[in-house]
Amino acid sequence: MPIDDTIYAYSVGRVRALETRLLDQSRFERMIDAASGEEALKVLSETDYAAAVTELNDVHDFEYMLSAELKNIFDLIRDISPRPEMIATLALRYDVHNLKVLFKAKYLGVKTDLLIPVGTVDLNKLEYAVNEDDYRDFPGDLRQAAENINEDFLVNRDPQIIDLILDQVLYKQLITLAGEYNSAFLEGLFIRQIDLTNLKTLIRVKRMGLDREFLKKVLLPHGSLPADRLISLTDEPLESMITALNMSEYADLIEEGVREWLEKGTASRFEKLADDYITAYLKKGKWKAFALEPLVGYLWAKEIEIKNIRIVMVGKINQLPAEAIKERIRNVYL
Amino acid sequence: MEIRVNPTRMELNRLKKRLTMAQRGHKLLKDKRDELIRQFLILVRKNKDLREHVEEELSAAFSKFLLARAVMPAESLEEALMYPTKTLSLEISEQNIMSVYAPKFNWAEEDTGSEEDSSIYPYGFADTSAELDISIETLSSILPQLMELAEVEKAVQLLAEEIEKTRRRVNALEYVLIPRLEETIKYITMKLEESERGALTRLMKIKDVVRAKM
Repeated sequence: MPIDDTIYAYSVGRVRALETRLLDQSRFERMIDAASGEEALKVLSETDYAAAVTELNDVHDFEYMLSAELKNIFDLIRDISPRPEMIATLALRYDVHNLKVLFKAKYLGVKTDLLIPVGTVDLNKLEYAVNEDDYRDFPGDLRQAAENINEDFLVNRDPQIIDLILDQVLYKQLITLAGEYNSAFLEGLFIRQIDLTNLKTLIRVKRMGLDREFLKKVLLPHGSLPADRLISLTDEPLESMITALNMSEYADLIEEGVREWLEKGTASRFEKLADDYITAYLKKGKWKAFALEPLVGYLWAKEIEIKNIRIVMVGKINQLPAEAIKERIRNVYL
Repeated sequence: MEIRVNPTRMELNRLKKRLTMAQRGHKLLKDKRDELIRQFLILVRKNKDLREHVEEELSAAFSKFLLARAVMPAESLEEALMYPTKTLSLEISEQNIMSVYAPKFNWAEEDTGSEEDSSIYPYGFADTSAELDISIETLSSILPQLMELAEVEKAVQLLAEEIEKTRRRVNALEYVLIPRLEETIKYITMKLEESERGALTRLMKIKDVVRAKM
């Protein structure tokens, strides 16, 4: 059904105003140059985070501030968006996180405080469902997945299975939803996220010395890079990945990321580049006046900003060298 | 200071016996001490190497962990590590080093899952950072060394205590008991000789008196 795009006018306007308040690169550089965690927080208190910063009793509590910020932003965007169900797809990730936590807590027989209150399903409902094995209210594939986990875990008792099943169903669901809402933009976003995750997974599985059977189990479905191609790369040296995938759109990223991974044995560059890649993709839609793109872009920008703040704060509190922090800071969306 | 005793021949014999016993004990304890120290030095060297190695690896693992922590939200990290794939069963037996009973750790990793090849990574890949893999891997690889270190360190500690105790005994024998015994023996011998000489003089005197009267 055709939708009048002007319904986005108000929300895009709102987002335009909010975008100006995102932290820019120079702000992060000032935070990195700060002498301590406290000093870095001071830099933060000159920004939108001022109110939250003054409420902090201790630098180490910055994580609460970030969680609260994430929730606020999601609530806000969901409120102003004319089609909140499309924004909800982006929050699905947190539902899945909560499910993982709840399943593990259930099997361990413990209480948990690791839930993130950003998801689309109410936390109490989620908790009730998992504890009572009653998944009727779960959307589509998620219900099937929850039931699968229950069966599989009781047999194998392998906690990794929980994560694997849920991750896969998450992206499957996302692609389905993007199709339902007829949004090529969202589909493009999810496919890119899947591809990047799959590439990273391939390298990680190789590093762990696990075989192709395992990789087959953990690759996410619906990526643009065919799974067979990735699986066939398991037995070859990492370098060949660069040549094998040099025709894909991720060629530059793979080359730089993999090279760094080979040289320094750290994945930080690859992960940063992957996030930057998504940022670049979203930036393309930033200036559309009546569309979903700016809203999604802003949400992502905010998630990246939160990630960056976390990197800086953890780095500053633990006195990591400025270099180590700098090379992990993601590009900002501005 | 000598021991207060009656200067009798019986007492003298008893003391002499005690002295030989003390000397034999002293020699044995001294040997024991030397051997303990030898063992101790071997273990201490091993301990030092192990400890340096483990500390280096651990600090590397922790710094990796820190980086993983930096790029992942606290909740995701905790979720990833919430349910371990492996449990460790530890059995402690004793090993005898020079009659010092040091603990010996027998330990086995058990998969919590029934699948035999379940990996050490209890999490999925989509929501976790690869930096976490590396720190988990390092931590898991130094676990055996960590156990060995605990074992060696405890043994060193117990040995040190035992050496201390043995040395105190050796010293007590060498500087207190043996000199005292020797002194007392000397005192009794002197006393006995003295009274013997007294008896002799008395005898000679009596002999003189008797002879003069004849």
